[in-house]
Amino acid sequence: MKQSDKFRQANREAVATCVGTLAVIVFWCLAGFGLANSEVMICSTPLWVWGGCVGTWIFACIVVFILIKFVFKDFSLDDEEVAK
Amino acid sequence: MSNILSLLPVFIFLVFLLAVSLKIQKDSAGERATNFAKDYFIGGRTLGGFVLAMTTAATYSSVSTFVGGPGMAWIIGYGWLYMAMVQVVVIFLVLGVFGKKIALVAHKIDAVTVIDVLRARYHSDLLANFAALVTVAFFAATMVAQFVGAAKLFEAVTGFSYFTGLTMFGVIVVLYTTVGGFKGVAVTDAFCAIAMIVGVCLLFGCMMSAGGGYTKIMADMAASHPDMLEPFSAGKMPMSLYISQWLLVGICTLSLPQSVVRGISYKDTKSLHRAMLIGTVVIGIMTLVATSIGIFAKGILTQELSAYGTIDNITPRTIVECMSPFWAGVCIIGPVAATISTVSSLLLTASGSIVKDVYMNIRAAQGKPLANASIKKLSLLGTIIIGFAVYFISIAPPSVIWKINMFAFGGLETAYFWVLIFGLFWNKANKTGALFAMFGGVIIYCVSMLLKFKLFDLHQIVLGVGGSLILFLIGNALGKEPDEATQQLFFPEKFD
Repeated sequence: MKQSDKFRQANREAVATCVGTLAVIVFWCLAGFGLANSEVMICSTPLWVWGGCVGTWIFACIVVFILIKFVFKDFSLDDEEVAK
Repeated sequence: MSNILSLLPVFIFLVFLLAVSLKIQKDSAGERATNFAKDYFIGGRTLGGFVLAMTTAATYSSVSTFVGGPGMAWIIGYGWLYMAMVQVVVIFLVLGVFGKKIALVAHKIDAVTVIDVLRARYHSDLLANFAALVTVAFFAATMVAQFVGAAKLFEAVTGFSYFTGLTMFGVIVVLYTTVGGFKGVAVTDAFCAIAMIVGVCLLFGCMMSAGGGYTKIMADMAASHPDMLEPFSAGKMPMSLYISQWLLVGICTLSLPQSVVRGISYKDTKSLHRAMLIGTVVIGIMTLVATSIGIFAKGILTQELSAYGTIDNITPRTIVECMSPFWAGVCIIGPVAATISTVSSLLLTASGSIVKDVYMNIRAAQGKPLANASIKKLSLLGTIIIGFAVYFISIAPPSVIWKINMFAFGGLETAYFWVLIFGLFWNKANKTGALFAMFGGVIIYCVSMLLKFKLFDLHQIVLGVGGSLILFLIGNALGKEPDEATQQLFFPEKFD
């Protein structure tokens, strides 16, 4: 990979990370506040707690997994062009 | 109930960390002989994914994860846990946004600190020195607050005096940070993170049996404190607090230098990717379990708050109520580990700021760069002096420390936020903009904190970071565009 392409890729990854963070925030709102009026209890705990707390955590892990699997790329951090 | 059994587990853990650190010092003698600063302040860029994840998570989790957080959850209930979950983003956000970019640049210029990178980007000694000053002042206050918090907890749980606890972990953490350097800090942090998880899970289990089981605790809560089951907790947890916390302990932590520096320290991109995932899993478990301890403590500490004093007493009282002295001693390794893993990273970053970012740079500018042996002597000396200064201040901290500490977290975020983001991602960002943003932001933040001035009832971080952004843009319009060499170094993609 060319040095400039690595920087381009790093920029892309940074943007993707921000999008991922935004997705977590949206999920957190919907699964927490969004479910706050539900009367459903699971194991004597309100549904919004499961969604907003445990759910957000699992969702964040999935987001990171997708990021590192499909967006992030492996490359050498040293400048190979200089080395040559 | 000062019982030697409750002291022993922590002591063994601390001695173990010291041994690990000494071993690392011995193993890295070779690298240190050639480039001391690089090995000492950044671990020679050799961290693997697991250690990188654990050290980032452990540095982020502090004594308040175990004391202040659960204490608030005891009052507010699930709303506080819901708010605390914002922290699941902090690890992958900092590593994902800055990790690659700062590593690419750092490899080119052989940077070992965040301030090295800022200096190369903006070519401003004033900016670099101010950043170093802000970092050292805020870190010192934070370290004292961490020590005090942990020593109080230690006293309340074990019955041994505040001074005994403080001396035991204070002296050992300073010693192992000094000898181990960054690699020592990172590896001991990994052990600390594991100890934290074990500690909270142990306490969680004991609480469940002491409180009569999960279903009973929940049924009692629903009957006597129904507001603890609502997100807004009957008005105790307003929307503005949620938004404030999202910024203060969520998104804005992106720019904390002790986290960003971890982006220079890893071995290869695979390690970074793995660290993002492991870190997110770990910080999530830690936040969930540690904070919910406070909620379930409602089933054990059933009286009003006045019966227990302050919310900081909730965690220690819970430990004492539901554990035998020995198991309490094992459990308290968790919060002690959270404290020392934060202190060790701050201490090393602080001494790096003084020795590397300020002093070594002055010498280089005078044309008298330091020899490797003097760098070694000064770095070790710097670390141990700052460390012991913090320890001595913690014995009887003056009230000004609490004031500085209140400003520290948000102040650091404000100082670095736009300077780092624009510096690394906007090629037109210039020195004048960065200076305006860093000075102006810190001043706006600290003044609005002092005056307790809030916009829309949101935390002052909004004013600090918002004001800093506006000042950056104004300053940037006034200043000169960065020279081509700098742009080529940081933005080679613009020159294809």
